[in-house]
Amino acid sequence: MGNKQFEKIRRPENIKLPYMLDFYPLEDEKNTRISKFFENLKEDRFTSTKCKACGKLLWPPRIVCSSCLSDNLEWVDLGVEGELYAFSEMRGGAPLGFAQDLPFCIGLVKIGGLLISARIDNARYEDLKIGEKVKLKIVELEDGRIFYRFQRID
Amino acid sequence: MRKVAIVGGGGTKCGKRDANWRELVQEAGKTMFDNIDNLSPKDVEALLVGAAQPERFTFQVHVAPMVAEHLGITPRKVIATTELMCASGQAAIRYAWACVASGMADVAVAFGVEKMFMPDMSEAQTNMTCVLDREWDGVNAMSAPPFFAMTAQRHMHEFGTTKEQMALVSVKNHHYSTMNPLAQFQKEVTVEKVLQSPMVAPPLNLFDCSGITDGAAGVVLVPAEHAKRYTDTPMHIIGSGQVSIGNAINNLASIAEWVPLRMAVKEACTTAKITLKDIDIAELHDCFTISEILEYEAFGWCEKGEGGKFIEEGEPYVGGKIAVNPRGGLLGSGHPLGATAILQTLDIFQQFRGEVPKGRYVSGAKTAVAHNLSGAANVHSLIIYSRD
Ligand SMILES: [Zn+2]
Repeated sequence: MGNKQFEKIRRPENIKLPYMLDFYPLEDEKNTRISKFFENLKEDRFTSTKCKACGKLLWPPRIVCSSCLSDNLEWVDLGVEGELYAFSEMRGGAPLGFAQDLPFCIGLVKIGGLLISARIDNARYEDLKIGEKVKLKIVELEDGRIFYRFQRID
Repeated sequence: MRKVAIVGGGGTKCGKRDANWRELVQEAGKTMFDNIDNLSPKDVEALLVGAAQPERFTFQVHVAPMVAEHLGITPRKVIATTELMCASGQAAIRYAWACVASGMADVAVAFGVEKMFMPDMSEAQTNMTCVLDREWDGVNAMSAPPFFAMTAQRHMHEFGTTKEQMALVSVKNHHYSTMNPLAQFQKEVTVEKVLQSPMVAPPLNLFDCSGITDGAAGVVLVPAEHAKRYTDTPMHIIGSGQVSIGNAINNLASIAEWVPLRMAVKEACTTAKITLKDIDIAELHDCFTISEILEYEAFGWCEKGEGGKFIEEGEPYVGGKIAVNPRGGLLGSGHPLGATAILQTLDIFQQFRGEVPKGRYVSGAKTAVAHNLSGAANVHSLIIYSRD
C-alpha cells in the first residue's frame, strides 16, 4: 500500500444545499398554488384555507377540501396568538441545517381552531408550561423565503 | 381467499453492523433459505421488500430487484418494494399474504431490510424528519423523538403517568432482549439507568427510545394446504386490521390516545374471530416507552390512562395478563425499519415452535398479534397469527 501513488480525483469541498435536503417549502406562485399563505405571512397575517362549501377549516393550506372535495376555498385569518398544547426540546440529533440552533424548543400550538407544530423561540424547556400563551414570529431565510415560528410572551 | 401459512424465515443480528445494505440482504436471505426444507429461490413467485428509506440511507432505489438478484430469486408474478415507514415490513407481509391468499402466487417472500448507520448521523436524522408532513411539521424539526416526547408529556399531564412507569417498559424489554441472539441490546437496564441516560427530548431519555439499527430478515408465505411440504409446524395468518387517519399533526385523531389503533384492534379481532382474551403473545411497536403504554390502553388490556399502572403491576410480562414483547421489542432488539415487522413475525414463529429460551418463552401460546405503528402514530397495522 504505502508507496503506491494513485491519480487524485477532485470533488468540490462545499456544495449548495440541495433542495431535497431543504425542509422549507418553495413558496412562490411558480412552485405552489398556496403562495398566498406566505404573502399573507409577510403582512403579519397567519392564515389558512377554509372550505366555502362545507365550512371545514383546513391545515395545512390546500387547494381542494379534504372533507368534501370542493375547490371553492377562501383564506381566513387564524389570529397571531395561540396556546401551547404540548412541547419538547431538541437537545441533540438535529437534522442537517438545524444543528447550529441546538438546543431549541418545538411545540404544538392551538390557534384558530387548529393544532399545529412550530418552533417555540425565546424559551428553554424549563420556562414553558402547558396552556401558556405564545405569539406569532416570522423568520426569513437567506434567500428571502419566510416561515412562521411562535415565541413565548415575556 | 386461501388460508395462508408462514413456513419459516431468517434474520440477521441487529445493531451497528460492519456490513453494508446488500450484505445484510445476503446474510438474511441465506439464513432464510437455509432454514426451510424443500424450498429453492427459484420457487419464489412473489417478492415484496419492506424498505423504508433505501434512497436516503443507502442512495439506492429499485431495491426489490436488487434483493431478488442477490438471492437468486426470479419472480414471475409480483415484485415490488413496500414503503410504510416504520411499518414497511408489515406492508410487505400484507401484500405477500394477499398474493398467496388470492391465488396469484404459491410461494411469496416478505423481506425487510434497513441499513441506518451512516458515517454522518445527522444525515440519518434528516431522513427521519421527513415522515410527518415535511413542509409543515418536518420543517420544525418534528421527527419522532419530539413528537413522542409530546405524546408522553400529554399522557403525563392528562393521566398522571410517571417517568418511572415509562422506564419500566424499557427495563422489561431490555430484559427479554438479553435472551434474543438477534437483538441489538444485550444488557439489562434498571429504572435508575433509564432515568439517568442522556435526555434526548424531554421527557424522553435515551433509553426511552428505540435505537438506530442495521438489520434484515425474510419470511416465506405459502397456501396453508402446501405448508407441510416445507415444515411440520407452520403458523397461519388468521386476521388483520390496518387503519390510517391523517398525517400532519393537525389531522390526527388525538395525541394521548390512539384511536386508529383501537379501530384496527377491533377489525383484527373480528376478522380473526377471536377476542382479546385469546391473544397469548403481543409483539407491539414500542418505538418509545410511551408507545407501549398507549398500546396497552388502545388494545383494551387496561382502561384509558392506566397503561402506566398496568406495567407497574407486572401485567405485560410473560406470566402476566398478556406477554408483551417477549422478543425484546424495538427498545431491546432494535428497529431496522423495513425489517422490524419481519423480525417480530419470525420470533412469533419460533415462540409457537418452542424455539426460544425459557426465560422469554410463552408456554402453550396459540395466538399472537404483531403490531406496527408508523408516522405520528396515525397509522396502525396489525396481523393475527395462529399456531393452528
Ligand atoms: Zn369542504
